[in-house]
Order: sequence, then structure tokens, then C-alpha cells
Amino acid sequence: MENHDHSPALEIHQMTVNYDKTPVLWDISLEIPRGKLVGIIGPNGAGKSTFIKAVLGLVQPISGKIEFFGQPLKDVRRRVAYVPQRESVDWDFPITVRDLVLMGRYGRLGLFRWPRAADRVAADHYLETVGMSAYAHRQISQLSGGQQQRVFIARALFQEADVYLMDEPFAGIDLGTEKILMGLLRKLKNAGKTVFVVHHDLNSVEEYFDWLLMLNMRLIAAGPVAEVFNPETLHETYGKSYSLFDEALKLSQHKAKGL
Amino acid sequence: MFAYFNPYSGQHFFGFLLEFLKRMGLFFTGQLSVNDFASDEIQIIVLVGMAASAALVGSFLVLRRMTMLANSLSHTILLGIVIAFLFTSGGLLSYDDARPEPININAMLLAAFLMGIVTTFFTEFLTKTVRLQEDASTGVVFTTLFALGIILVTLFTRNAHIGTEVVMGNVDALRLDDCKLIFVILGINLVLFFLFFKEYKITTFDAGLAKALGISTVFFNYLLMSQASLTIVGAFRAVGVLMVLAFITGPPLIARLLTDDLKKMLLLAVGIGAVASIFGVAVTRHILSVHGVALSTAGVVVCTMLVLFVLAVLWKKRGERVNRQT
Amino acid sequence: MESPLLFFTDAVLRAPTIGSMLMCLAAAIVGVLVFLRKQSLLGESLSHAAYPGVVIGVMVAGALGLEEHQSSMIAIFIMMGAFITALIGLWTIHWLVRKLRFRSDSALCFILSSFFGIGITLASNVQYVYSSLYRQIQSYLYGQTATMTDIHIYVYGIFSLLIVLTVVLFYKELQAMTFDRDYAKSLGIKTKPIDALLFILITLAVVIGIRSVGVVLMSAMLIAPAVAARQYTNKMFVMFFLAGLFGLISGFLGNYFSVELNNYLSLKYPTDRLVIPTGPMIVMVASVICVVSLFFAPERGLIVRLIRIGSFRYRCMCENLLKAIWRHSSKKEISFDEIEKYQSLSPIYLRFLLWRLSMSGWLEKLDANAYKLTVDGNLWAAKIVRLHRLWEVYLANYLGVGAERVHRNAEEMEHIITPELERELTLLLKDPRTDPHHQPIPPRH
Repeated sequence: MENHDHSPALEIHQMTVNYDKTPVLWDISLEIPRGKLVGIIGPNGAGKSTFIKAVLGLVQPISGKIEFFGQPLKDVRRRVAYVPQRESVDWDFPITVRDLVLMGRYGRLGLFRWPRAADRVAADHYLETVGMSAYAHRQISQLSGGQQQRVFIARALFQEADVYLMDEPFAGIDLGTEKILMGLLRKLKNAGKTVFVVHHDLNSVEEYFDWLLMLNMRLIAAGPVAEVFNPETLHETYGKSYSLFDEALKLSQHKAKGL
Repeated sequence: MFAYFNPYSGQHFFGFLLEFLKRMGLFFTGQLSVNDFASDEIQIIVLVGMAASAALVGSFLVLRRMTMLANSLSHTILLGIVIAFLFTSGGLLSYDDARPEPININAMLLAAFLMGIVTTFFTEFLTKTVRLQEDASTGVVFTTLFALGIILVTLFTRNAHIGTEVVMGNVDALRLDDCKLIFVILGINLVLFFLFFKEYKITTFDAGLAKALGISTVFFNYLLMSQASLTIVGAFRAVGVLMVLAFITGPPLIARLLTDDLKKMLLLAVGIGAVASIFGVAVTRHILSVHGVALSTAGVVVCTMLVLFVLAVLWKKRGERVNRQT
Repeated sequence: MESPLLFFTDAVLRAPTIGSMLMCLAAAIVGVLVFLRKQSLLGESLSHAAYPGVVIGVMVAGALGLEEHQSSMIAIFIMMGAFITALIGLWTIHWLVRKLRFRSDSALCFILSSFFGIGITLASNVQYVYSSLYRQIQSYLYGQTATMTDIHIYVYGIFSLLIVLTVVLFYKELQAMTFDRDYAKSLGIKTKPIDALLFILITLAVVIGIRSVGVVLMSAMLIAPAVAARQYTNKMFVMFFLAGLFGLISGFLGNYFSVELNNYLSLKYPTDRLVIPTGPMIVMVASVICVVSLFFAPERGLIVRLIRIGSFRYRCMCENLLKAIWRHSSKKEISFDEIEKYQSLSPIYLRFLLWRLSMSGWLEKLDANAYKLTVDGNLWAAKIVRLHRLWEVYLANYLGVGAERVHRNAEEMEHIITPELERELTLLLKDPRTDPHHQPIPPRH
């Protein structure tokens, strides 16, 4: 194994993602060093979730190169953990809290293997870390929003990865849980991990993150929060000056459908 | 009573169509009476009428994503028909020595209507009150009621093959009374769609706006379901309960491929259904005349619809390719 | 009436019985996955799409000169044909949804009915060309197990085992993918091939099941056992087990009742030669199990839930009554009429509740018309009032709700707040003495 000690946690070259011949993410290039807490912000429909999915290979970009620690995702999957949006999950599914956490290592175990004793012990440990040990055998539908999010984080921690990609982990949860989770994320960063968080609340950006990605179909800015988080970039990200662009996109959508 | 001499026997496909047009001309100029209709003509009339109803109702069902509910209805209606059969003295399917009277139209319509309400009610009950997911609710309701229907119908008619006939229909046994039933149903459908076209349109495409305007989506769902029940029961003797679904989904889906406008889609769907029906009867006659094999007319009509579907897809793909080049 | 054990040993009866049980087991196992993916109606389309394959299988068998008595060989052709057309149907549905942008329900119904129509057309041909084999096709419409032989047990048994084994081997992948496909992909699970494998399993289960349950009703055996199983457990593993069990029971009882009924009918109407197909009987058993589970399963059953709701409402009414009495005159007696003045309950029901409360020791009935709270009644009422007012403080001070609006919500919450929650509230609010309406909050006991 080559020594990639100084390669960036995530490096993207000119990534474009389409949905039905319409670009959703356009020509994104960036480089994120290790050990950062990275906030991803942008208006609704700006492609933030798509960004995470594209980087994870869940959605195929039509162009671009994506590398983690200087290698393609398929070689370093073990080092990347995904926390999906809470609303995308079927909470009525018959599974207990602890079993949900155990899912985090299914990829690592590979086919035809079952979770081992060490895995169960680790799962219990991470449930303890997020304060959900009492709920280990509870059915997930009985959890509140904040509790569900904590279990998701426990699962991610359980994967013991080096990069974490979290899609709106703070959506719809109470402030107390948010603070607890933020504390956990800071611990990760201090341990040298890189954490990406799709975030929706501009007020807490400066307090939470040290790096920022500002997305609105294109990458408006990427860099340390202090440099990048200012009125000009905010206006570019959230402002209306790109409505012409939107119209043009809509037209191209129609053309592609033959209308 | 049909004509003793069937003018279509022995005809080839084109001969059939010519003969049909000639006789229709005679009919419309008053020279041919309704009582002289040959069985093939009755088949065409019933199938076309049924296809028209099914196309109209089916278009809205497809657009409102209620086709699975229609599938459910087409199964549960058997139970309603069995119950109607028990309470009346009419026969169920083909000419039956034990029950020589024709079907009781009113009983059938009432049974269908009630069954539609019952099915929708049970499905909603399972979904809303018992909190079962919608796909499973639909599945449980129609399989249970249909299983019950099959057991009862086999027991009460003491006919072991009735299960098969119910599902395939018996186009050759159609008579003038069936035409009457079909046209009553088509009439009801046309009237309701004409009266409530705007409401149906709004509740289909913009439920929020409908609610804001005070138009109840729930009411129109139930109305549409009732119309679907009537249409299905009308088709029961001709094509059997299961193939009705092809008439309900096929023409509207084909029409949808060809147009985006609701009115055009409705007209096209009716047209496609009618054309497939006429074609199907003609082809069946042709094959009987030329090869001596009596295929199921209903089945041939459905196959025709499939062919039309493939053609429509090819047409659309060609259209897209041309568009992209401009 | 025959002894049930005979069904496993008798040379004629055991093949249908064991065969059906194995088929229904496979269908139920696969049905759990289909249910959890919320694609329960897929089985319906697959079984109808299999029908033309059944007919084609018979046509090929006929063309090869097979005779009616070579039913096992014919069965193999039928299975292959059914499998192929079902897969074609499945592929077409995917193509319609993905390439032509059809809604999934339209695609399912269109394929279901069109393929079935093709099947009917072909069957009508077979009726004349290979008329002796036509009966073979008919038995696949609603299922007819009576003519199954031991060879059928082996063939279907092997496939059932294959299905169960595959589900066991790929258990965790299937669980992860069904729960959250994207997440499973992110773990590196190869979702596309496993999906394909799952669809093949579903098709296989449907194809082997249609001999006993029939094409028209097959979807029931994928849905009913899974629905029933879900009512009893929150663990997917147990769900598989229970569904399989229900499948086995349905297969057995369905056959049992079918045979008994047919025997009875052949005695009563000997000339009609009436035979009820097995499919509807198996489905009826499965449906009864399903409906009973939906209503009476402990925890999730509807009746059980309604009882729980009823008893909760009853408790709320009692608490409200005690609260009202406490507020009015906690130490003194109170007359019935005074109680009635402030309650909206009917007098009869009110008398009943008061009687129940005095029976349980919360109230004391002094004479015909006067009641007084007992010490315990006092404590309980005070606690409810405390919870009510604590909650009002929380709403007003922490969530900024206006004092005029807190009462309504507190009326509900006072019955729900648990002791743990009460402890946390007391801590958080620093044990307040008065509520937003300046009324005193009873202290903790």
C-alpha cells in the first residue's frame, strides 16, 4: 500500500451530474484537506444531496474524477461512511436499534458472513457514546426524531471510517440533541477524521464548521469558513441572479423530452 | 335471435370488413332490423361499446394511478355477481338449461355498484384504520373476496368449469340484451363524464386546487370507482373479469404515448379500443374460416392492442429521434 | 372425515399436501421481502405473466408428442415456459417504468392483463389442437393439486429449499437493501446483482406456486402470510419464520379442506362431478389467518389497540373527574348535582364512573348524593394537577407559548407525562411553585 499521508481527504475534478439530461451539478472541482469539519450549504434544489450521492457513487456523474485519499472510492470504501437523510428511510421497517447499528459493518463483513461478537460489543459501545444504550432492543419506529438521528450517527461511528458524509443530520431535531451530536463530530475532527455535513441553518455555520462548501448547482466557493463565508458569496449562492440560468435549464429539459 | 344464416361464416379478413360495412349501411338506412344481427355483429357492438366505456374510465384511472384498484375491483365483482345471481332468477353466463332467462340487468348493475363501494371501503379501512400499507391492503381484499367468490360460484352453479368461463368470458354467447346493457353503461359513463369533465380534470391533476375550490377529490374517487364497477360488470360476460383490465389500461396508455392533451387522449383511447375490437373480431373470424381454429375473440382483441402498443412506442421513438435532430 | 395424518402418508394424498406446503413456504418467505419493499402487487403481475408460458409449455410438450399421462414431464415444460414468460413480463415492466416513464401501477396492470390475454388466446388454440392436454392448462388457473405425484414433491421441494437457502445466505444484504438501498450501496453491497437474484427468486416462487394456488390467486400467498407475520414481531428474522409457518399451515389446511369438501360434494351431487380447485381454499385459509392477525395480534392487532385506546380514554375521564372534584373541594364532600354541573357527561355514565371510582378506593360515597375524595384520591388528583401546571410552565417559559394557550395542550399532556418525564421537568424548571395562571402547583409526593 502506498503512503498517501498527505493526499486530500476528497478531491474532485470537473464533476457534472445530470438528471434526465439536465445538469444538477455542474463542473465541480475542489480539494478538501484532512481533519476538517466541512459544512455544505446552498438553497433548496441546489444539489447538496446529489453532491453527496455522486461522491459516494450512488448517482453516476456524466463526467469528472472523484478521489478519496488519492484513490477511487471502490478502493477505499471502508474508510468512507454515509449518513443518509432521516426522511429517506422507512422507519416502520422491522429492525431494532442495535441491529440497525450493526448494519454499518455489513460491507466490511462481506457475503455469507454474520456479525461477530466483537461487532456486537462495538455496536453497544457506540450506542453508549450517543446515549442510546437503553434503547438497544427498541423497534426503530418508537424513536423520536432526535433519537433516530443519534442512532444514525452511532452507526456511522461504528463504521470507524476516515471520512463521514452526512446529509442534513440536524434537520428536524431539537437543539439539545444537535449540540450533543456536534460535540461528537468535533471529537471526530480532532481525531483527524474529515466530516462533511449538509447543513441548512446559516446562523450556526461559523460556530460549527471550519471549512465550507457553497453550492448552487455550481460550486460558488470552497475553503475555510473565515475566508469564504461573506455577503458576496452568500448572495451568489442564494441570490436570484441565476434565474435566467434556471429558465434556460427548463427549456433544455423540455427539448430533451421532445416537447 | 340471430340470423339463421351467418353472413360472416367462411369470410376472410377483408371480406369480413366489407360485409360488416355493407350490413351496417343497411342497418342505418333502416333496411336491416336489429333482430337480424348476426352473432359477429353483436360481438362487435358489445366489444366496441365496452371498449369505449373502458377507455374513458380507464384514462382517468391511469392518470389517477388507480389501476390497481381497478384490478382489485375486477376480481371482487365476481362476488357481487354471485350474490346477484343468488337473488335473481337469471342465468349467469351462457345459455343454461336450469336458468333459461337472460341476466337481470338491474341486479347486475346494483351488485357491481355495491361491490365497488364495499371493495373501496375495505381497502380504505385496512389502509387507514388498521394501518396496513396500501399495496398489501389492496392485495388482501381482492384475493380474499375473489377466492370466496370462486368457491361460492362453483358451489352454487354446480359447474366445475364456471371459474374458467368467468375469467375468459364467452363472446359467442352474447345476445341483444347484452348490447342493451353495454349501451346503458356507456350512456351513464358518457353523461357523467360530460357533466363532470371539469371536476374530474381538476381532481386528477391538481388535488390541492380542487380542495381550495371546494371540489371533493374523495367524492370523485368514489364516483370513478362506481363507474369502473359498472364498466367491469358490463364486460363480464363478453371478455371475463380479468381481461377487462386490458381494455381499461391498454388504450389509455397507448393514447398517452401519442398525446399530452386530455381530451385528445380520451378520444384516441376510445378510438383505439374500438379499432382493436373490430379488428379482433375480424381476425378471429378469418382464422376460423381459413384455419378452422376457434380462438378466443377477447384474447385476440387484447393481442391486437399489444400490437398497437408496440406500434405506438415505435412511432414515439421515431418522433423523438426526429425532434432531436432539429 | 379423514385423519390429518393420512395426508402425509397416503400415496395419493401426500404429494398434493406436502407439495402445496413446500410451495406456500417458498412463496411466504419471498413474500416477506416483497412486502417490506412495498411491492406486494408484483406477484400478481408475475403470476399472470406466467400464464402464457404455461400454455406455451403445454404446446411444446404436445408438439413433442407427450401424452396426458406423462404429467411430470409436461410439468417441467410448463415450469420452464412459465419461468421464461414471467421473467419477460418482469423485464418489460422495468422497461416500461424506466424507459417509457410509466407509473408502476399502470405498468403492472398493463403487463398483467396483456400477457394474460396472450395466454388466453394461445389456450384457446390448445383447446383444439391438443385438446387432451388442455386440462393441464386449466389446472394452473386456480390450482389443482389432486393429480400431483411424488416426483412433484421432489422437484418443488428442491426449488423451495433453494429459495429458502438463498434468502438465508444473503440475509444481511437483503435486509440492508430492503431497508435503505442507497445506504447499502454505500457500504459496498452489490445491489444490482442481488436485486436481480431477488427477482429471480420471486419469479421462481411464483412459478412453482401456481400449480397449487393458480395464476389468478398466487399473489395472495406472497402477501397474506407476510402481513400476518408482521403483526407479531418487530424482527425480520422472526417475520420470516412466522410467515413460513403460516404458509405451511395454509398449504396443509387448504388441501385438507379441499379434499374434504370435494369428497362431500361427490357424495351429495354424484352426477355433477364437482371439484373445487385448491387455490381458493388455500387462499381462504391464509386470508383468515391474515385477518385474525390484523385484528387480534397482541400489541398490533386492531381490536387490541382499540381496547388500549378505550382504556386510556377511560383513565383520562376518571382523572378529569377526580381533578374536578379536587379543585372544587379537595377536603370536603361534594354533592352529585354539583359534580354534574361542571361535567359534560351524561348523568348515567357519570354515576357509573363515580361508582367505579369509589369501588377502586379513590372516592368515598358518603350517602345517596355526596362524595368525598379519599386520601389516595386526593394524592392522585393532586398529581394530575401538578403535571398539568408543570407542563403549562414548560410551554410558557421554554417554548414561548402564550399563557392563554397553554391550558388546552396541558389538558392532554397531564395524562401522558411519565414519572421520568416529570422528574426531568421538575429539574429543568427548578421545581416552580406557580403556573402561568398564578395558581399553586401541588408539590411532589
